[in-house]
Amino acid sequence: MIAQGLDIVTTAAILYAVATGLLLVFGVMKIINFAHGGLMTLGGYAALVTTQMGLNPWLAIPAAALFGGVAGMAIERFAVRPLYGRPLDAILATWGLSIILGQLITIGFGRGVQFTRSPLEGTLDLLGESYSAWRLALVPIAVVLGLGLTALLQGTRLGLETRAVIMNEDLARGLGINSGLVRFLTFTLGSALAAVAGALITPLSSVDPNMGVPWLVNAFMLVLVSGASLFSLALSCLVLGGAQVLVSTYLSPVLGGLTIAVLAAVLLRIRPQGFARD
Amino acid sequence: MPRIAPFRRPLSRRGLLAAGALTAGLAVLGLPALAADAITIGIPVGLSGANSVVAPSVVQAAELAVEEINAKGGILGRPVKLEVADDASGAAGAQKAFDSLIFQKKVDVLISMETSAARNAGLPIVNRGKVPYIYTSFYEGRSCSPYMYVNAWVPDQQVAPIVDFFNGKGAKTYFLIGSDYAFGRGMLSFTKSYIEKTGGKVVGDEYAPMDATDWTAILSKVKAANPDAIITSTAGGAPNVTLTKQLRAAGIKALYGNLAVDEGTAKSMGGDAEGIYIAGSYFTNIDSPANKAFLAAMEKKFGADLKTPNDLSVPEYEAVYAYKAAVEKAGTTAADKVIPALAEVSVEGPRGTIIMNKQRHAPLTMYLGQVQADGSVKTISSFKNVDPGEQCPKLK
Amino acid sequence: MTESRRLSMLFIGFLLAAAVIGAGPYLLDTYSVNVLTRSLLYAAVALTVDLLWGYLGILTFGQSVFFAAGAYAAGLVFTHMDFTPGNAALALGLGVGGALLTAAIVGWLAFWHGASALYASVITLVLPIVATQLLYTGGEFTGSSSGLSGFTSFDISMEGWFWLAGGFLVCVTTLAVLFVQSDAGRLLVAVRENEQRCKYLGLDTSRLKITVYLACAVIGAVAGYLYAGYAMVVAPELAGFVFGTELVIWTALGGRGTLLGPVIGTLIVDYESAQLSGDYPFVWQLIIGVVFVLVIVAFPRGLLPVVADVPRRLFRSFLKRPARPVASVRLSTLDPALTQGEAPGDGPALAVEGVARRFGSLTVLDGIDFAARAGELVSLVGPNGAGKTTLMRCIADGAERSSGRIVVNGHDIGRRPPEACVALGVGRKFQMANVFETLTVAQCLQIARVRHARPSLWRRAGELHLPESAMHVIATTGLDRQLGTPAHLLSHGMKQALELAMVLALEPRVLLLDEPTAGLTKTERMQIGAILIDLARRQGLCVLLVEHDLDFVREISSRVIVLHQGRIVLDGSVEEVVNSELVKQVYAGSGHAGIQHQAAGREEVTP
Repeated sequence: MIAQGLDIVTTAAILYAVATGLLLVFGVMKIINFAHGGLMTLGGYAALVTTQMGLNPWLAIPAAALFGGVAGMAIERFAVRPLYGRPLDAILATWGLSIILGQLITIGFGRGVQFTRSPLEGTLDLLGESYSAWRLALVPIAVVLGLGLTALLQGTRLGLETRAVIMNEDLARGLGINSGLVRFLTFTLGSALAAVAGALITPLSSVDPNMGVPWLVNAFMLVLVSGASLFSLALSCLVLGGAQVLVSTYLSPVLGGLTIAVLAAVLLRIRPQGFARD
Repeated sequence: MPRIAPFRRPLSRRGLLAAGALTAGLAVLGLPALAADAITIGIPVGLSGANSVVAPSVVQAAELAVEEINAKGGILGRPVKLEVADDASGAAGAQKAFDSLIFQKKVDVLISMETSAARNAGLPIVNRGKVPYIYTSFYEGRSCSPYMYVNAWVPDQQVAPIVDFFNGKGAKTYFLIGSDYAFGRGMLSFTKSYIEKTGGKVVGDEYAPMDATDWTAILSKVKAANPDAIITSTAGGAPNVTLTKQLRAAGIKALYGNLAVDEGTAKSMGGDAEGIYIAGSYFTNIDSPANKAFLAAMEKKFGADLKTPNDLSVPEYEAVYAYKAAVEKAGTTAADKVIPALAEVSVEGPRGTIIMNKQRHAPLTMYLGQVQADGSVKTISSFKNVDPGEQCPKLK
Repeated sequence: MTESRRLSMLFIGFLLAAAVIGAGPYLLDTYSVNVLTRSLLYAAVALTVDLLWGYLGILTFGQSVFFAAGAYAAGLVFTHMDFTPGNAALALGLGVGGALLTAAIVGWLAFWHGASALYASVITLVLPIVATQLLYTGGEFTGSSSGLSGFTSFDISMEGWFWLAGGFLVCVTTLAVLFVQSDAGRLLVAVRENEQRCKYLGLDTSRLKITVYLACAVIGAVAGYLYAGYAMVVAPELAGFVFGTELVIWTALGGRGTLLGPVIGTLIVDYESAQLSGDYPFVWQLIIGVVFVLVIVAFPRGLLPVVADVPRRLFRSFLKRPARPVASVRLSTLDPALTQGEAPGDGPALAVEGVARRFGSLTVLDGIDFAARAGELVSLVGPNGAGKTTLMRCIADGAERSSGRIVVNGHDIGRRPPEACVALGVGRKFQMANVFETLTVAQCLQIARVRHARPSLWRRAGELHLPESAMHVIATTGLDRQLGTPAHLLSHGMKQALELAMVLALEPRVLLLDEPTAGLTKTERMQIGAILIDLARRQGLCVLLVEHDLDFVREISSRVIVLHQGRIVLDGSVEEVVNSELVKQVYAGSGHAGIQHQAAGREEVTP
């Protein structure tokens, strides 16, 4: 029971870390960033480079943010901005960019599976269970991520402008907000967050050119059911991530792998606003 | 639809290597280099996709075999050359690769290490093109075609060493973990029946999706079941190593046999791989003159570019020699003569003596090893001539 | 181009393509015949991607699944049962049936009323992932990752398969071209361009999407069935997301919305990749990725239109051909006896009872009660944010109101979607002219008539029958001289008139007009005013009009309702309202009233 509870909470934390960047981009720009998986992979390789240079593994997180942010700036400038009026094309362009990103990584680092050093090794004893330390560490990390973003959105002028663009871009522009800049910064931040998520999951998995792909669809679905709210994202990660753990445990891991996508699709059909309040 | 002119391609790096090998071979013999005379071996392999990590080592092994054969006068006095084609590790790519090799390059034989999906997709094309085909990858077993031979292991050969060893260590309860694909299912269903036959008990068997890298739920079940031993058979690459890492991170201490890890991967995993038991028909430290000569030749030919030889590349090397022997025995490259001859010839290779005389499969010497702290594999014991069992009873 | 000329051109194209397919095996080597046989079948699936994405606007990543449904049906039946003609037919039936069932489920999930294009795309993305996983988990039954191989199939030569695959592709492509150029096919473009307008023209766009999706699923399944018969192997990657996206890439490169582009794109890219990927596997993927992004960003129409433009441009400099004469459509007026329907009954044409609309804690409309008879011309006035447009929406779409009841011609609209409200007799004209920008005037009108005159699946009608009221608008404004003009070239006033004519073509009983004169010239305004009076008096329509211009209201209305802060504050004759102190106060104090109301109404303004 306790192990299951920990599984659910840590799974939700990982999903939350993976999906926040996507949520931000979706909220502001109303597009799903298909390069999200590629950017996560980039973050994984940032962590790999950190390890190879023999640096402190915690440095992987800022390194990934830097890599992802820079890549995000380029993607926004050259592929997303020209497609402002064509959201479906923007999706395709980001998808094409993730192909390019993946192939460049493959050519640069090879197709093989590689490893990074984990900032925290081994297990921790919690409530009588010995549990993977890094998985547990991801829970406070995800909470800090959520709170930090909330503070950014609620407490700063940029955050205010971002929220205005999320609610009504035309009106925001009419009020003199430079929505182009808001979009640019949001995409950069979203990409940096994607890469950070990639770095965060490497201690649990390995680094390879496709590492981001399996996360993609679940992240999409979580964002769609969450609307544009960080709070409802946390809620949907807990509910759907929990469902995934339970289905994996009691039915089969194969069905578990499909749980989030299928549940979210049905949920949206029945309740179009998902977990968001109206 | 316009007629599409066949694309003329520049000589690739592999082409150059093969050509170099060819001229070198011919120079020794002082024969005129007539490419039309050459016997062509087609190698469809996963240069991209899931197999791309291991594919270069397979190509290298084939290149060495061809160089050696050409240096000694080729086959029936004819030089040998390689044609490599990427099958993208999947069915659609394999169809293109097989079509290209059989109908465009008109190869005399196909010798390939491929995924099962790629092999299955290629077989109908082999049947149409009527060329001999040697499959050199271990696989889940029971794939049969009148044109195909297999010189690598099947579950019937691989599972027994590990389970017998664990039984000997007093293991009573087993937990099996696999990726949900043909190889994973095939291996573990055989493992399960073998464990039960030998008196052990399977307390759980769980499969995760083939690309899954999150094993949380399964590992929680393992901890709850607390088995004496764990045997895993996952998809290669990320699923395999993530399982190992997460298993270690979860603090599970049971005996751990991994049916899908090779020496190279084990080495790259570092400390997490230590103590894993693996079985195979080839480890680099096999103490035989043939293996030592092979490793030395590989080292000499490829130097710093050498990809460590392994259980997938060595059978490729041996299969080239098996084909040579069969052609020489038949006295021709005609498929209908070569195919029966393949069952009769024996090859003395790094893995020992290989004859593909058991329903198109080969009895093999199997080794049990344990990964050491430095990533090397220590051989614990070997099992001579393990029989592949009933694979293709309808074929001789 | 006349209709018979169009059809004969198409027939010549069909014969030419068939001849090329027929000659193929004699001109090509065995290798190319083999590779192209598969490419031809892939091209048929790419064609369905183009129908859905290029024409209907549904970006789909999951067409691979239908291909796999057909292929696996053949693989499973031939593996687990014997190969007999009966079983071959069974397999085809199972494949098509399975594809239809899958498409119906996906359609239900993805194309409901109000689902966004993005959402539908993501659902089609989930489909191949679920399908692949199910195939993997099928164990020995589906062959899991190895797929199924070694089954017996039709005894047909390689050339025979080439002809079969090519013949299938040519037939499907010809039919698709015939369809998209037809009156019914034009609806796809209309839905892509402006789905909202389609719904308010009474078209059940969800059903249209699902129907096209089902048809595409069938094409995919048949292609897959042929594939399995030819290749004698099926593998999970056929259903996969990678193949699904490859189809999208081929379609984008070839040119979406051209049908031929995706077919040619598939044949070239797939054939070349067989050649090149063997030598440069990773670089090849990289090149495809770069070209794909470039095409999406710089040449969204794909490469075929770009290539096709070159000779056209060259030719133009030599012989200055006049612009193509536009398809001529003859207009005719329907017999009024047919369009009037039953005489208006005694009851009100429109009854609004206790209607309220709330957004969260914000109440935009509350306790709205009124009834209007046929022949009445009721103006709704009130300051910005009073809830006028929201009230219009509540009458035209059953899902809009939070509570209350709306009865049109004696029928409670319940929770009916807009297209069903249209069927009850509601016609709604939007505030900003809301027409199909890329279609011509005649085509826009034709789409408005689809509800009454079922369009042909393969022909273009030469004649357009319109009810008298619509004809009146067209004749008065001179639109009848611009039938061949694309709507986006019309002046603002003409667009407003066109939309009005389209709404009238629906033969509504209750006409909802949201500021029909905004931005019009004085003359245009007078024209519209005269038309409205005529509609109410002579045709007996119940007209509900939102209007700011009180002079205009005074001239034409028979009755005025004043809304303020979501409530009716006055309901009376023109005189009563104009002289009311209350109304003056309301307008004087409107400066700061409800900016949020306006924000809530904004998406309506820009469709």
